[in-house]
Amino acid sequence: MHGRVKVKSTAQQEEEKRKEREKKLKAFVSARDAVLRKRSAGEHDEEALQLTQQLLSSNPDFATLWNYRREVLLQLETSREKDEVQKLYESELHFIEACLKVNPKSYGCWHHRSWVNTRLPQPDWTRELGLCDRCLSLDERNFHCWDYRRVVVKESGVSVEQELQFTDRLIGSNFSNYSSWHYRSTLLPQLHPQPAPDSASNTSPSPTASPQIHSHRVCEEQLLKAEREEMISCVYVSRERERVSVAFSKPVHAQSEGLMLVLDGQPQQVEWRSTHPRLRHSPVWLCDLPPGSVSDISNEHNLTVHWTEKYTHRDCALYTGCAESWCRDSATDQELFRSELSVEKSSVLQAELQSCNQLLELEPQNKWCLLTIILLMRALDPLGHEKETLAHFQTLKEVDPMRSSYYSDLCSKFLIENTILKMEYAEVRVFSLSNKNLTTLCHLDQLLLVTHINLSSNQLLRLPPQFAMLQCLEVLEADDNAIESLEGLYHLPKLEEVSLRNNQICKLSDLESLASCTKLTRLDLRGNPVHKTANIDSELSQLLPLVTALSL
Amino acid sequence: MTATLFSPNTLLLDKHADYIAAYGSKKDDYEYTLSEYLRMSGIYWGLTVMDLMGQLSRMNREEIIEFIKSCQHDCGGISASTGHDPHLLYTLRLAILYTELIILCGTFLPVLYISIQVDPFHTLFGVAGLSLLGDEQIKPVNPVFCMPEDVLQRIGLQPDLLN
Repeated sequence: MHGRVKVKSTAQQEEEKRKEREKKLKAFVSARDAVLRKRSAGEHDEEALQLTQQLLSSNPDFATLWNYRREVLLQLETSREKDEVQKLYESELHFIEACLKVNPKSYGCWHHRSWVNTRLPQPDWTRELGLCDRCLSLDERNFHCWDYRRVVVKESGVSVEQELQFTDRLIGSNFSNYSSWHYRSTLLPQLHPQPAPDSASNTSPSPTASPQIHSHRVCEEQLLKAEREEMISCVYVSRERERVSVAFSKPVHAQSEGLMLVLDGQPQQVEWRSTHPRLRHSPVWLCDLPPGSVSDISNEHNLTVHWTEKYTHRDCALYTGCAESWCRDSATDQELFRSELSVEKSSVLQAELQSCNQLLELEPQNKWCLLTIILLMRALDPLGHEKETLAHFQTLKEVDPMRSSYYSDLCSKFLIENTILKMEYAEVRVFSLSNKNLTTLCHLDQLLLVTHINLSSNQLLRLPPQFAMLQCLEVLEADDNAIESLEGLYHLPKLEEVSLRNNQICKLSDLESLASCTKLTRLDLRGNPVHKTANIDSELSQLLPLVTALSL
Repeated sequence: MTATLFSPNTLLLDKHADYIAAYGSKKDDYEYTLSEYLRMSGIYWGLTVMDLMGQLSRMNREEIIEFIKSCQHDCGGISASTGHDPHLLYTLRLAILYTELIILCGTFLPVLYISIQVDPFHTLFGVAGLSLLGDEQIKPVNPVFCMPEDVLQRIGLQPDLLN
């Protein structure tokens, strides 16, 4: 009939769709096969560009094609003049943008774009920044774009102020833009090494959700530490073992650091080894001195460890009549656990702490607030605020139970830091942290000189390989934990007494590493499942023949 | 996906297993072909789920092994599919599969091919891959969750086998 629109039936539509897809598939497969064929044949020509373009336009995640395209472009570069190369890569950028419209989160596209900018004789960073602005306005959490933006900013020298304004705009339009906040927190320390006070109280935040997030960010900005100076933190010498232990300010691979040991003006041929085979990158390294070189206690010696890669060294004098010696900076001097605060920074942080505390009175269960207060207190006075910090951690674990393990670990870390500081102030070599809900151990490289350690009544699960850095340890008390692994009790040369009552040591093999601690004579394993092992007494006396006082 | 009156309220394991077992048999399927660039990941997802459902035997072992062998490159990297370039991501997929499910006949090159993409995603895969290949400096990683074992232990997360 005339004038009547012909409506296709569903079956007909289905059939047409199917035919359409079949056609598309055929085109894709033939193009793909052609491309792979060309690549195996080593052909790097215009046709390769066309074919890959065809495929990537609808399938920009086909990574192999981007690889091939780069090979072709590099080849074409060699036969083009500079201005032609410029045009070649500029059109490449257009192409990539088209692909990004298909998938703005394609790893392949962003990576290729970065690469193109390294090949362009004259990159246009303004355009690139504009692209980032546009992509982020469509999706402010596109991390590919943020990463790319950072590259662009770095290459083009865009000012920090300009970028801060950018984050202002984004945050102004959407306060919960965490990506912007994070970026901001990395920018601020670059702006002012000692930021002016008003940067802490700048713009917008009035919605109720804002102040604590704002403070938290300020806190992070201010507390972003400068990298610790690379140096040798401690040199320890033992006459009896004729061994030198060296602690570095960060984990290193001793064999590639150009370490040199000089004894009484003579360079020594020594082999550096880690405290545990699993620690190939470690802050603590050991070496043995030539036999007899320091064993006579009536002699004085001067030892220097040179870290030639970093142009630094540390001396250590071994005096007459002394069985051991060491040289180190104290943890307090080194500002090990927090960054040095200028007066300006200090007052900014104090102000933040005050406003956070006020907020806490209004919202006592606000986890942002609690955590920020903890961080602020640690920055200002870790020892002075210890009690409050512990109380806040307790509240945090209650209001945010899904992160309670994280908080427990973080609290453990802070307690260990405080104990190290206290130990320094008291000038003793005893580390005691019992009944403190410790869930993890850290900073073990700072305990190189410790002779006695008490970790009883905590929630530790293991003594990790890093525990082997406690080269001076004589007595270990770790009762009433949940320890299953003693990996770190490995070749501890001075370890005489170990108490591990009421733990979770289950198998004889869990105790194997103790055999390497040749001075061990007293071992208390009462209250561990291992006592149920058949013939445990005889097995243990075989494994640890030197242990004379064994309690099971 | 929002539930409606007609959504199933039980897990239709048999149907899921059927779907996966049949997937890839229709080699002329449009989406199947277009997703070739992540085939190795697809194999990983399919095999791990079939294993969790106890239906791994329905998969064509020989065909899969031949395919994987064809994706091994001399540098130690694994590609997503035959003729594709090796990539860190698929090398990790294979490392996971090797650990859990298949023993490859012939040699497996325990060299981790490093990609030039520097970002947390690829770094995670690189480190996890090294861990699964037995690197002693790295904590043991659970291949199912791609998280360290000690973290899973501490939060009490254990995968339950479905039957």
